[in-house]
Amino acid sequence: MITVRSVSKSFGKIEAVRDVSFKINRGEIFGILGPNGAGKSTIVNILNTLIKPDTGDVIIDGINIRDDCDTIKLIMGVVPQEIALYEELSAFENMMFWGGLYNIPKHELRVKVNNTLGIVDLAKRKDDRIKTFSGGMKRRINIACSLLHNPRILVLDEPTVGVDPQNRNHIFEVIERLHNEGMTIIYTTHYMEEAERFCDEIAIIDVGHIIALGTLKELRKISDTKDLLTIKLESFNPEIISCIRSAIPSVRADSITRTLEIDCDNISNDISIMTNHIQTAGGVIERIYTRGTNLESIYLKLTGKELRD
Amino acid sequence: MFKLFKKDLILFFHDQRSVILTFLLPVVLITLFAFAYGSLGGYDGRSEPVKLLVTDLDQSRSSKEIIYKIDSLKDIKTIISDSTNAKDLVIKGKYACALIIFKGFQDSLETGNSTPVEMVYDRSREMEIGILQQNLISTLMSLKGDIIVKKRIEKYLKSKFPFIDKSTGDDILKNTFIKDKNRPEIRWTPIVGMKNNTKLGLIQAVAGTSILMLLFSVAGVGSSILEEKENGTIHRLLYSPLKGSAILYGKMLFAFFISILQLTAMFLFAWLIFNMDLSINFPALILMIIATAFAVSSLGILLAALAKTRQQALNISTIIILIMSAIGGSMIPLFIMPAILQKIAFLSLNYWAIQGFYDIFWRVLPLEEILPKIALLISIGIVMTLASVQLFKKRIIKL
Repeated sequence: MITVRSVSKSFGKIEAVRDVSFKINRGEIFGILGPNGAGKSTIVNILNTLIKPDTGDVIIDGINIRDDCDTIKLIMGVVPQEIALYEELSAFENMMFWGGLYNIPKHELRVKVNNTLGIVDLAKRKDDRIKTFSGGMKRRINIACSLLHNPRILVLDEPTVGVDPQNRNHIFEVIERLHNEGMTIIYTTHYMEEAERFCDEIAIIDVGHIIALGTLKELRKISDTKDLLTIKLESFNPEIISCIRSAIPSVRADSITRTLEIDCDNISNDISIMTNHIQTAGGVIERIYTRGTNLESIYLKLTGKELRD
Repeated sequence: MFKLFKKDLILFFHDQRSVILTFLLPVVLITLFAFAYGSLGGYDGRSEPVKLLVTDLDQSRSSKEIIYKIDSLKDIKTIISDSTNAKDLVIKGKYACALIIFKGFQDSLETGNSTPVEMVYDRSREMEIGILQQNLISTLMSLKGDIIVKKRIEKYLKSKFPFIDKSTGDDILKNTFIKDKNRPEIRWTPIVGMKNNTKLGLIQAVAGTSILMLLFSVAGVGSSILEEKENGTIHRLLYSPLKGSAILYGKMLFAFFISILQLTAMFLFAWLIFNMDLSINFPALILMIIATAFAVSSLGILLAALAKTRQQALNISTIIILIMSAIGGSMIPLFIMPAILQKIAFLSLNYWAIQGFYDIFWRVLPLEEILPKIALLISIGIVMTLASVQLFKKRIIKL
C-alpha cells in the first residue's frame, strides 16, 4: 500500500528526516513514535505531498508522490495535530466545507456528513458552533472532517493530545471501527500505550531517523528488554543479601529502598525462584512488584531518553 | 476558490463585531465628518457665520457705518464689546479675533492719515481669520476707500505743490479720481462644484472615511490568512486537492467583495441620509468603486503577506493605513493641508481614490477624464496582487 524508500529531507542546515524507509500493508495501523521534533510531522507531510523529499521515493497505492499529487490527496485523509476547524461555524457547516473541498456532490455530502457525525457520536450537536465544544469533541469533529471523502489511508497526527479519558475512548472506538472496516491508518503519537494498543507495526523515530521498526514483539527482541521483578524486604540485612547473591549473582540490591531487582526472561518462574532463595536466607518479603516489557522501556533502552520529555 | 469565499462570507456574517466595524462604524464616522465639514448647514463650507468682536472707541458716524456694513455680511456676525474685554475673550479662545476702532478714526479719514484700526486675533484659527480678512478689507475699501485715496492725493498735492490754486487741485482730483471707475473689477465665477448639489464636505466625509475604514476592513481580512496559518486550517486546506494559490485568490475575492459591499453601502447611506446625488455619473461611480475596492483589497492581502504573525500584520497594517490616510486626505481634507503634504499625497492610495470621487461628484468630470485614475488604481492593485502571490508562496504556505 505504502512504500517509503530512503527518504531524506532537510530544511536549511537542519536534517529533519534522514534515510527513512518503511512499508505499510493495506488495512494495517502503522505507528510512528517519537518525541516532539523527531521528524514525525515531516514524514506525515511528505506522505501527504505537502513536502517534497530531497531524496528517496514514496509510492502510495502504486503512485509515486512526485508524479501525481492530486490523486494521492484523494486517497489520503489527514487529521492534523491542530484542531483545524472554524470556531464560528457549526459542526455541520465545518464538515460541509471541508468535505466540499473534495468536490463531493452536495446531496451526497450532506448524507455523509450526517453519517460521520453519527460515527463520532456528535449528531445531536451538529448545529452548535465549534467554539461551544469541549476539546475532546473538537478532536472528534477534527477526525470526522477527514473521513468525508472516503479515504483509503487515514493519517492521524497525534489525535489525542489534550483529550480527557472519556473522549479519548470515543476516539479509540472510532479508530478501531475504521480499522475493522479495512482502512489503512498511519498513527503518530508520543503516547506509548496508544501505540501498543493499536499499531500492527511501529517505527520508532529519533532525530529524523528510524531507530527501530517492527511489531511490538520484534521491537522487544531488537531492544533486548526484559521484564523487571522487584521485591521489597521488611528489613535489609547484608548477610541475607550476600546469601541471595551467591545463589543469584545478577540480583541488584538497594539498601535505602530495601529492594532487590532482577531482569527476567520468564517472570512467573523467576518469582518462585527468588522468593524461595529469600525465605531460605531468612529474609521476610514485604511486597512484590513486576513490570512487563513495554514500548516505553523499549524506547528508553533504544534512545536512552524519556519519550515524554 | 468560491468555496473558500463562501466560507469566509459565512464566517464574516457570523461575527457581529466584524459586521459592526465594517458597516456601522463607517456610517457613524461619515455622519460625524459630514457635520464637521459643514455640509449639512446652509453655508458652503461652514455651518454658521464667523463671530467678530468689535470695539468702537471712536463712536463716529464713519465707525458706526463700517460696523453696520460688516454686520450685514452673511459670513460675519458682529458682537460689540469693550477693548479690554474683547482682547481677553480672544486670549481665552472664546472668539477668533476682535476689531478695535480707535478714537480718531473719522479724523484720520478726513485728513488722509493712517486709520487707527487694529485686529487682534488667535493665530491657531487661521480659517476664520482668512474669511474675516477678505470680508473686512473689501468692506472697508468699498465704504471708505474713495475718501482715503482722495484725501491722500490732496495731502500729496499740498506737500509737493504748496502754491497750486484750489481750482487746479480740484481739476486734478476730478480727472484722476473718478468714483467707481478707479477700482479694478474682478468678476468671481465658481466653475467647480456648481453642476450638482452635493457639498464638498459631504464628498470628503464619504470618500475619505469610507476608504480609511475600508483599509482597516481588508487588513482584517488579510490577517485572517495568518490566523488560518496559526490555527492550522491553512495546512488542512493544503491537504485537500485545493491549490495554494486558490487559497490566496479565495481570500482576495472575499476582500474584494467586502470592499465593494462596504463602499456601496457608504454611498447608499450618503444618498439616503444626506441626499448625495449618485446618479451624476453612475458608470464612473461603479468603475471607481470597483477600482478602489480592488486596489484596497490587494493592499490588505499584501500587508498580511508581509507579516509573520497576525499580531505583526495588525501592527504593520495600522501604521501603514494611518500614515496613508493622513497624507492621502482621508483624515483631513487635502486642500487644507500644508503644501509639502499635498505634494507627497500622491504616494498614498487614499489620494487617488479620494481624488477619483472628487472628479465624479465635485468636479463632475466625464468618464474619460476619470479613467486614468481608475486605471492607476487597478494597476496598483495588480502590482500588489503579484507581490502578494510571491510573498504568500514564500512565507505563508511554507511548511
